[in-house]
Amino acid sequence: MNPSLKLALIVLIALEVSFVQVWTVNVVLIVVSLLLMLINRVPWRRLLLLTIVPLFFASALVWSLMIRGDASTHFLIVIFTRMFVYVYMGGWFTLTTKPLRLTRSLEQNAKLPSKFAYGFLAAFNLMPKIQAEVSTVRAAALMRGEVLHVWSPRLYFKVILAAMNWSDQLAAAMVSHGFVEGAPRTHSLTVPLVARDWWLFGGSLVLVQVGLFVGLP
Amino acid sequence: MATVTVQSLTYTYPKQDQPVLNHLSGTFPAGKFSLLTGVSGGGKSTLLKLIAGLLPNAGDTITFDGHPLSSVAPTQRAATVAMLFQEPSTQFTMDTVQNELRFALENQQVPAEQIAQRSDAALSFVGISDLKFRKLMQLSGGEQQKVALAIIVAMNSDVILLDEPFASIDPPTRLALLEKLVALCTDRGKTIVLADHDLSGYQQWVDHLAVLADGQLNLLSATETQQRFAAFTPQRLRLSHVQLPTEQLTTCLHGTQLGLAHGDRQLLTPQDLRFYAHRTTLITGPNGSGKSTLFKALVRLGHYQGHIAYRDTDIKKLRKRHYARQVGLMFQSATAQFLNVTVAEELALSQKYGNSTYFTSTRVQALLRDLNLDGRDDQVLYSLSSGQQKKLQLLCMLMMTPEVLLLDEPLKGLDYASIQTVMTILTTVQRELDLTLILISHQLSGLDGLVDLHLQLADQHLTYQGVSA
Repeated sequence: MNPSLKLALIVLIALEVSFVQVWTVNVVLIVVSLLLMLINRVPWRRLLLLTIVPLFFASALVWSLMIRGDASTHFLIVIFTRMFVYVYMGGWFTLTTKPLRLTRSLEQNAKLPSKFAYGFLAAFNLMPKIQAEVSTVRAAALMRGEVLHVWSPRLYFKVILAAMNWSDQLAAAMVSHGFVEGAPRTHSLTVPLVARDWWLFGGSLVLVQVGLFVGLP
Repeated sequence: MATVTVQSLTYTYPKQDQPVLNHLSGTFPAGKFSLLTGVSGGGKSTLLKLIAGLLPNAGDTITFDGHPLSSVAPTQRAATVAMLFQEPSTQFTMDTVQNELRFALENQQVPAEQIAQRSDAALSFVGISDLKFRKLMQLSGGEQQKVALAIIVAMNSDVILLDEPFASIDPPTRLALLEKLVALCTDRGKTIVLADHDLSGYQQWVDHLAVLADGQLNLLSATETQQRFAAFTPQRLRLSHVQLPTEQLTTCLHGTQLGLAHGDRQLLTPQDLRFYAHRTTLITGPNGSGKSTLFKALVRLGHYQGHIAYRDTDIKKLRKRHYARQVGLMFQSATAQFLNVTVAEELALSQKYGNSTYFTSTRVQALLRDLNLDGRDDQVLYSLSSGQQKKLQLLCMLMMTPEVLLLDEPLKGLDYASIQTVMTILTTVQRELDLTLILISHQLSGLDGLVDLHLQLADQHLTYQGVSA
């Protein structure tokens, strides 16, 4: 499916699910997302992680609502399944969409200014650098007798400072390779947006509407 | 072919009073290889960035065959001038070599069907067709510079600017890149301007020397250039009292089958290596040969093969917090060391956890005066000049007095007077506190009084130099 439409689809569904309380639709969405991830051969370890982490938070939330508060069982089930809908749909999207393809699609299909599209991509490519920077800052602090934890503001101050420096470098890198804001570009690879994408997009949305309508008490 | 003409160019960085470049005029001839030289911090990078259009510059002071860059169509600017950066890893936007080439050519509005062919031609010109599908961040610095050059070749830029491109590159790669540059110059008529503060190893390659001094540019003729090269003697390392390590010395750091690699390139073949306590050891070796990587391994910031022991205990078994106080590293980039905002806060941190009985406030104040850093307590660290940052960084690390202090290019970018002061301070503190210093330095003069042992890294092997005692 076309990445831009895929993104629009999950954002729309996620928005709808957060306002309407129909747990059957949530379960169907979970099953569909899970199936889609299985078809796309998402590794088992990832799936396990995607299940355990929200399980912990969803259980904690439901448990606390059960002890204190007068929420109905129906509401608790909706809350519990909703969390999994978000995580699984998000998982399906991120694990089956390549950032570069999404960028190209946003630029070509969604007509997003190329500055945003490529800025986003470059930031994504910076991830490993950020990790290295964090360990360098922590080591530098240890050598000075200071222990920086994950929650230390000083750690983030330094990393943000480094990131600001990188953003300047990145701008220079893009300009030196011929990038000009707002100028037209050619596309070596085109991301197709065909009738099938629209049918999938529309069909899925209609199905969710029907489900929500039927499922409403 | 394009001649670059600079006319009465003045440039001042924002929030600074002194201009870096002052009414600078000069010409870089078309189809020639010019070497731009001058002291570090003298404005070479600034000039190149201005020519490349990477810094805002009002007016038409810089022209290409008479046309300012602003009059060139946006998509054709990269075909007019392109720049290769000093820091190899900072010049890419995309993840792989192929995607970066596509990105650059798309920006130039090259029709989609020509992109693949032009990319392949550029890669094969530089001789790196095998890197096409590799991830940029996994390449070595030398490979990244080759890729950056291939992109410039693909963009077919008339003027190619290079800002100290060999600062972290090993000699064979440097040679390969220079050959390609000369070919671009002679066969394809490209105008090349390469900035480097060190003249060694350029004589046979360049056409002209352009000397940047006191904000003024002076282009030497071919004869003058050759005379300048002939008169130039590269810095020599003079160490008069260096000896081979003896049995009496105590080992503080001991590497067993210690090997280092960057990506899939081996930097150090596994070997036994000892560092000795209460001595100053100098490590020398070509750029990119693995000296900084060794330091990172010693402070557990990088991967290594084999084992490293500190006083007979494997460093991986020591508590990180404890070990970091025993073996400290003065990073090559000063800003990586700083944790605070102002000078006073940074000094206070070192005072809090460091050796405060030796580094009393009076002594620190005296040292600050020696280093010309006094009276800057409230100044923001990042607004200091790079030389001032370097000096403050050294003081902060010395105040911590770790048992072993690793110094990665402690004299980088310092002027002559500062080097003298820093060397005096280092020598005094080392003697009085009996510290163990291990240093990497390309700045070779003035080290004689300090260095006891000399390790040379060559052909992936570290060996102690000197006469036996």
